[in-house]
Amino acid sequence: MPRFDTLNQAWMVWDGPAPAPEEAVLEYTRELEKFLAEIERRAFRMAQVALRDPDDAMDAVQDAMLKLARNYASRPSAEWRPLFYRILENAIRDLQRRRTVRKRFMTWLPGAKEDPDNEAQDPLDSVADAAPGVPEILMQGQAMQQLEVSLRALPARQREAFMLRNFEGLDVAETASAMGCSEGSVKTHYSRAVHTLREQLGEAW
Amino acid sequence: MNEQPAGSFEERSRALFQESVEGLDFATRSRLTQARSAAIEAAAASRRRPWFLRLGVLTPAAGVTAAAILGAFLWMGSPYGPHAVTVDGLSNLEDLDIVASTEEGAGDAMDMLQDDLEFYDWADKAASSEPAA
Repeated sequence: MPRFDTLNQAWMVWDGPAPAPEEAVLEYTRELEKFLAEIERRAFRMAQVALRDPDDAMDAVQDAMLKLARNYASRPSAEWRPLFYRILENAIRDLQRRRTVRKRFMTWLPGAKEDPDNEAQDPLDSVADAAPGVPEILMQGQAMQQLEVSLRALPARQREAFMLRNFEGLDVAETASAMGCSEGSVKTHYSRAVHTLREQLGEAW
Repeated sequence: MNEQPAGSFEERSRALFQESVEGLDFATRSRLTQARSAAIEAAAASRRRPWFLRLGVLTPAAGVTAAAILGAFLWMGSPYGPHAVTVDGLSNLEDLDIVASTEEGAGDAMDMLQDDLEFYDWADKAASSEPAA
């Protein structure tokens, strides 16, 4: 044992472990970054389908990323995907609720109803068409637009089930975990969504 | 386990969605990268904190516990407490003030105490095994 007269001297000769395991933190954040990089674009598009507005979709994805990183990143990485989508769906629902409240509030304001263009305006109308002269791309762009419109017309739970199962490739158990419901409910929502979408899209599909 | 829904409708819609994902513009991709970086920073910062401060649920409980400890210290340092010791007119409140003075929250003070415990244990053993001259 070394000798020391004061606590300060003791601190100087102490060779205990460093308080922050920097390597462990680096390894852990690397894994999380890989997961987020793999998932972020699909998550953004799914949020955009649900919310229409790209800025709102970006807000929802940012929010979900931060919440997952802060609160759930210590969970096993296998749980991250359903957790992330659960947070994202909650963020989407919050934004939709806020939007509904804002819309109600705006209708009370004087002059708000005097602008019929705003109410009739569909953001999809302003989406640029695909490059002209390439019929395949044009057809694919139109098909995706049709699909987005039909997805928005679905009840929220059916849309969630369809996008998580079909677009994100979650299995029934993961989808149930992400949606916070039973596996049976997922199957019902998904089956109804497929049935409705097939009916709506009809011959084009 | 990862069974995929079958059928041409599902396959086509999935392919269309994937194409739309790959067609995202540069500005959107860049914003997503920034959002990811911010999340990673937040995760690293959260990871460096002691485990009990990472549990958001325990934060109110930690506050109540800290308040109880503070109350006990105050009572013991008061003239009515069982160990009311004052040296040269200074009370134990000054020591307590050092521990409780962190504005960022109780976390820093608790963190300091946790980090130092190992050192004090070691220092105690060193001092008792071979007293300083």
